[in-house]
Amino acid sequence: MALEDYRADCVSCSRCSYCKWIPFDHVKSWRFSRACPSIEYSKFQAYSLGGRLSVALSLMEGRSGYSEALKDIVWKCQTDGACDVADKICRYNIEGLEVLHELRFRLVEEGQTLPRHMAVIDNLRKEHNTMLKPKAGRGKWAEGLDVKDLTREKAEVVFHAGCRFSYDAELHNIPRTALTLLHKAGVDIGIMGKGEMCCGGRVYDMGYREQFTECARNNIRAWTKAGVKTVVTSCADGYHAFKRLYPELGANFEVLHTVEFIDRLIKEGKIKFKKAVPMTVTYHDPCHLGRRGEPYVPWQGKRKKIFGQIPVWEPPKPRYNGAWGVYQPPRDVLKAIPGLELVEMERIREYAWCCGAGGGVIDAYPDFSLWTAAERIEEAKSTGAEAIVGACPWCERNFMDAVKAKDEKIKVYDVIELVQRAI
Amino acid sequence: MALSREAYRALEDIVGPENISEEPAILDSYAFQWLAETIRPGQSKFMPRPEAAVLPGSTAEVQAIVKTCNRYKIKVKPYSTGWYFYCAPQTEGVIQLDMRRMDRILEIDERNMFAVVEPYVIAATLQAEVMKLGLNCNVTGAGASCSLLASATSYHGAGPSSIFGGENNQNLLSLEWVMPNGDILRTGSLGSGLGWFCGEGPGPSLRGIVRGMLGAKGGLGVFTKCALKLSPWPGPAELPVEGTVPAYNSPLPDNFRAYSLAFPSWENYFEAYYKIYDNEIGYIAHRQFSMLGTELGTAFWMLYNDPTKTLDDIEEFTQKPEIKKLTEEMKIAFQIVLAGLTPRHLEYQEKVLDEILADTGGWKVAAMSQPAMERFTLLYLIRLGHKNLNFVYNGGWLGTFMQAGPPDYVKGYRHIAEEVTEPYQKKGLLVDCGVDAMMGPVGSMGGGGNCALEQFGYYDVADKESTDAVVSWTKDCVKGAIDKGFVPGKGSHYLAMGMTREQRQSSYASAPWLGMYRWQRKIKGIIDPNDIGDELYPTLDEPGK
Repeated sequence: MALEDYRADCVSCSRCSYCKWIPFDHVKSWRFSRACPSIEYSKFQAYSLGGRLSVALSLMEGRSGYSEALKDIVWKCQTDGACDVADKICRYNIEGLEVLHELRFRLVEEGQTLPRHMAVIDNLRKEHNTMLKPKAGRGKWAEGLDVKDLTREKAEVVFHAGCRFSYDAELHNIPRTALTLLHKAGVDIGIMGKGEMCCGGRVYDMGYREQFTECARNNIRAWTKAGVKTVVTSCADGYHAFKRLYPELGANFEVLHTVEFIDRLIKEGKIKFKKAVPMTVTYHDPCHLGRRGEPYVPWQGKRKKIFGQIPVWEPPKPRYNGAWGVYQPPRDVLKAIPGLELVEMERIREYAWCCGAGGGVIDAYPDFSLWTAAERIEEAKSTGAEAIVGACPWCERNFMDAVKAKDEKIKVYDVIELVQRAI
Repeated sequence: MALSREAYRALEDIVGPENISEEPAILDSYAFQWLAETIRPGQSKFMPRPEAAVLPGSTAEVQAIVKTCNRYKIKVKPYSTGWYFYCAPQTEGVIQLDMRRMDRILEIDERNMFAVVEPYVIAATLQAEVMKLGLNCNVTGAGASCSLLASATSYHGAGPSSIFGGENNQNLLSLEWVMPNGDILRTGSLGSGLGWFCGEGPGPSLRGIVRGMLGAKGGLGVFTKCALKLSPWPGPAELPVEGTVPAYNSPLPDNFRAYSLAFPSWENYFEAYYKIYDNEIGYIAHRQFSMLGTELGTAFWMLYNDPTKTLDDIEEFTQKPEIKKLTEEMKIAFQIVLAGLTPRHLEYQEKVLDEILADTGGWKVAAMSQPAMERFTLLYLIRLGHKNLNFVYNGGWLGTFMQAGPPDYVKGYRHIAEEVTEPYQKKGLLVDCGVDAMMGPVGSMGGGGNCALEQFGYYDVADKESTDAVVSWTKDCVKGAIDKGFVPGKGSHYLAMGMTREQRQSSYASAPWLGMYRWQRKIKGIIDPNDIGDELYPTLDEPGK
């Protein structure tokens, strides 16, 4: 697909502003009614989904050209998809998030890139990670664990740690605990260790389609060689890449986030809690596990018009509107922990506020990224919770940094850490 | 015509460099508007590009901007939530004021039942806040996404709940207004330093001047704050919401009921309106679900309530026997929500409604009273958060006629709407959804007496022929109305957007209310001496000038 293929999507934007707000039915207060960090931070209309559709059209029609301002509009956005969910409350025929991606692909293809993103891409090419770190340090997080190395052995399940968990030492306990839990539950599981390659999901969101494809093909090849049937990850970004993007390249693995796997093991009686965790927590839905974590549905079709002027697809096109993301398993895991009370924020599930780290924003616009996280921390605090719990290392890192920057008291946990406390 | 550097710097000094831009890409996001394609050369989606976008954060900043515009003779076009081609600059050489930084609910006076809001406060957020206090606001027909201040000061402001909560043009109390000459005027009780509670006094009562015929649509200065009358809300402090996106629904308590009421004939249908007015029942009453066409709409609503389906499945839905039957049943129907302030109040309304149905031969559509559909209807009509489903078919719709008045007046125009629409649908130029795609409030003016029907034409905004057709259809609608002795209606306002100044003057001169345009010229002459507002505040030139 190319940007021009989405011209009708751009033209048919109704400029209604639904994309700026959470679905109106769910608005519970003035304070937490906004959906899109980008427009809230940058304010000008161009920084909303509707605005970006008009900017894309302006670019296609040659009304505006490349400029630093245009690049800022295109990349100062987490591609978190909240706009897409809200927009699709009323629209079946606009794929807003796809347009945002195509706009990025176009700029990258034309060499209109951001230096901070290029540093990430250069490192990915050389060192196979997006953390600006050397390849050699990739497997350190798993040192000392008795686990299969799937670069040499075979297993049914591969645990993919991902770039953030691999290189962020403060978070290493989370993948180590997840892996140990699954191993102890009798799962035939292994890791790629220092041979693990970035999932590519984050660079896809940044607009680097080719680099994503290269990462994906490498991973698919390595897993196939190791006899892998199931891919498990604790990273929401990785989950989205494996679940939604890899199948387009022919991958055929079962994909599970650890919260799904652990929820399954709890329900099967293979994980039992022994200790109470007396704590009130609130759960943050990572965008890539929630609204963007819907399973890929194979589809090919063509456009036709019915009833005179209704453009539709034949056969019906799958609809990605956040309805079928992973929302309940993490909540069920938390609710199963003795003594733990789960309280909800106002913006949850398909209309959750983003942590701020996605879409290359943490790399190129750290202040905006932290501002977005701080907004979520405010919302978490409003529930009275002692901790905000996530299921993605990017969210957790951003929340931890925001808490530190604002000298807040609220704790930040991964679901796995609370499971570990209860066992 | 770029702004002079001096003028730009003056504006930048007021709002700060982060709140002003003249980048082409940013400006085009302001020029892009719904309906632009119906009036712009080459069906462009872009209205004239503003010279700059400016985001003021306070009344003082707005006043300084307006004074600067007077000094440099720059036209200024403010918008709140900014939806419609009315909101964009109408000509070159205009700066766009985007009011989104002024987004606060300043006060909710629970006892006196009003709220004070800034321009970017939308209906959904004010409603959510006032519901916590047992109050509600009238959500304008354009839906929950829209600015309440804009609906009250600058446009019509009617909606499904107007039968109980009034129209927002009526709900407008005191107002803070930066007039085009840069003076600040505080109307009503606010003008006497007595607070926001009254729009008419003690203090200057200028509602007529502020609003003109249908609101100045951003053409007469900047309204920076206003107070809005609220009404009682007999429901929970927070709307309970269930269901899978997009078909959310609300399991409200037993003192709420939602019905679709169907009738054997239009005579019976409109007779029921009168009886509803006379008996003062109903919290919300609107002909809503027919907006997607009486032949296709029912299939759509059923499809919409199945989150596994998409618009691509609509043909399949139209073939289902139960939907065919329901489509027939729903052809002459409207929706009503009853809300009991007490159990006896609800019981009374139910009894009255049953009597009205018995008298008029109407009935409650059983399929729409099933719990899931009733809960969907309740949430839909109370929050109006799905209102933009009128874009669902193809991104393009145009509402015309909008005949407002007593039912006996409005009902006569239905035939015109259908006759004019039929050939366009049959040729496949507009969506063939049924010649009756009319929607409108059952009763406005706080209890009835006045209703409206607006006929919708759905065109594919990405299709040149279809877009041409909707313009032609609108012209035919206006002509059809005039030929049969009706006022031209909303479509004429849309068409006027595409006229030259000379054409517009000619149109005003032949309007039955040309005196109003003359008076507005006098008003504008006094408060906008440098002509910084645009032509959406219509004025008729003096003869010979």
